[in-house]
Amino acid sequence: MEKILICFAAALAVGLCAIATAWAQSRIGAAGAGTIAERPELTGTVIILLAIPETMVILGFVVATMILNK
Amino acid sequence: MIVRMSKLEIAGPKELLLEVLEVIRDLGIFQLDEENAAVADGRQKAWLHAQPPDDRVVAERLFLENLRRQTGEIIALLPSLETRESWLDPLAILDTIAATATRHLATCRELAERHETLRLEQEELGRYKVLLSAIDRLIEDSEPRSGLEFIGITLRDASFIERLRELLTYLVNGECTLTTTVAADGTLIGLITAPSSRSMAIRKALNDEQLPELPVPKSLSSLPLQVRVSYLDERLAANRCSMEEIEAELERFARRWLAFYRRINQWLAERMTLLSVTTSVRQTGMCFVIHGWALTNETDILEDRLDGKFSGRVAVERCAILEQDLEKVPVALRNPPYFRPFELFTRMLPLPRYSSWDPTPFIGIFFPLFFGMMLGDSGYGLVLLAAALLLLWRRPSGTLGDAARILLISSSYAVLFGILFGEFFGEAGGRMLHLTPLLPERSGAVIPMLIFSLALGASHVVLGQLLGLITAIRRHERSEAVVRIVTIALIACLACLMTSMFFPSPWLLTRSILLLAGLLLTLLIISGGLLAPLEMIKTVGNIVSYARIMAIGLSSALLSNAANHLAGLTGNLILGVLAAIVLHTVAIVLGLFAPAIHGLRLHFVEFYSKFVEPGGRRFEPLRK
Repeated sequence: MEKILICFAAALAVGLCAIATAWAQSRIGAAGAGTIAERPELTGTVIILLAIPETMVILGFVVATMILNK
Repeated sequence: MIVRMSKLEIAGPKELLLEVLEVIRDLGIFQLDEENAAVADGRQKAWLHAQPPDDRVVAERLFLENLRRQTGEIIALLPSLETRESWLDPLAILDTIAATATRHLATCRELAERHETLRLEQEELGRYKVLLSAIDRLIEDSEPRSGLEFIGITLRDASFIERLRELLTYLVNGECTLTTTVAADGTLIGLITAPSSRSMAIRKALNDEQLPELPVPKSLSSLPLQVRVSYLDERLAANRCSMEEIEAELERFARRWLAFYRRINQWLAERMTLLSVTTSVRQTGMCFVIHGWALTNETDILEDRLDGKFSGRVAVERCAILEQDLEKVPVALRNPPYFRPFELFTRMLPLPRYSSWDPTPFIGIFFPLFFGMMLGDSGYGLVLLAAALLLLWRRPSGTLGDAARILLISSSYAVLFGILFGEFFGEAGGRMLHLTPLLPERSGAVIPMLIFSLALGASHVVLGQLLGLITAIRRHERSEAVVRIVTIALIACLACLMTSMFFPSPWLLTRSILLLAGLLLTLLIISGGLLAPLEMIKTVGNIVSYARIMAIGLSSALLSNAANHLAGLTGNLILGVLAAIVLHTVAIVLGLFAPAIHGLRLHFVEFYSKFVEPGGRRFEPLRK
């Protein structure tokens, strides 16, 4: 039972973060595509903005790893 | 690195202004500074002002603009041929050129108009020929019947055919036929064959539906239907012949005059650029003063050239760069050949300021390292290496050439890390080739890889803080320098505390570090204000963000292992090889994009924010 709970906690840590990242990236991606269409010189900035929410899922992944290795 | 710039002031007699500007433009090493022009050495010089163009200058500009428009039109009307380069200097014979250009433009226009008229007639006749051929066939087929009328129409697209059939069925109830064909120019043509008694109703309906009836060309309208086809062929051939003659004449003309007019047009463009620049040059009643920037190591060339050409009548003075000038100094990047392709990444963001750092060498060192650590497979690395060499062979220069060079370096690092991790198209490939992992296998060593990534991140961020510290010291910003030092010391304390979690350490040492961290935090608040601890937390967040090196590396390793496993499950050699190729291709594509984007992000967000100040102006010298 304890193992199941640990696995569930790890899955939640990654899953919820992944959903949050996906939601943020969908918004940023849509706005970024429009921005690049009008001002291609902002491609670098858009890439950065798009990659920023990924920190959430990476931190979630780190937490999940720590939970599983506890 | 950012090249050192010199602030220059060039002064000389007013009548030499255009010649001086010509020399500056030919050298292409001097950027005019319009903003700085009114202020020299920090003092406003009221007697220096931008000269408004007088009537003579305005007349000259209008004359040149008109001539440029004429020559541009001549070039556009003539066929585009490869021509020799002309070295004519048109300044002395401008009036003659203007008269000749007016005459030649009239000739070219007449030829082009004739050609266009013939082309339009050819198109019209071509469409009508298609219709006539169809009518011929129908006459042959329906010889026994009489009283038929033929209506030709042009259709916008194929979707109209069905609509037209329905309309005709409704109007004449099957008493007519509709045939369609496509003309040589792609127009869809329809032919309606109907009894004469119904033709009026059909024409009215077509008019209501806005389907235009194909008109009979004027030249054919008076001829009987039987002779129209032969006449049409003759007319088409004659037109084609006339068009060929006009084209040959235009080509002959182009061979004789195109190089000349191209040169004139180019000269006019350069001359007008110079004239427009003169409006931003400050002048007095007798002399001019040009303010601007040049690369310090090229300033001597400019001085020598101006001195040689004008025998000391034009003076060049090097001015001191004041603090208020620093924001306006244009930025030129010049790096060793190894780092030069990485300027592509630097150009993706606004340029750094002149007083800041060029991040290109740092990204040149760390980006391939991060990329290699994340991809970490010698097989994938070799594939990307081959792709980079192919791209470099096809496009050795330009943006794609730079991208190929970056890929070449980064994939070499991927091969190196693949050997260290013992991976060749996954861990199974490495075991088959007896690659002994010199580092722990990534798929099984999550925590060690995480610690390694964080340690690398801490080093990278501390390097950024050190560069920021050097900038603060250079600018004599003491409190900023103290904040940087304290931040670095706090990062070191945190690193020591983290280490003490994994290695047994004396209780006293841990307590001492905690006490030191508390003192440093107090110092941080004193020197940087209440927001400084928040900045510190952001810095720690930046370091944790480097965990993505481990996360993406792990996903890359697991993906390649999954590809091998799935290929093995097929149980068939050929199917297995095909599955492995497809799955590894997907893994390589992902392995190219994910490490590249995240490697860039680590630099742009986590690293650059510590020392790069954006907002630099690109160095754009006046040149041809």
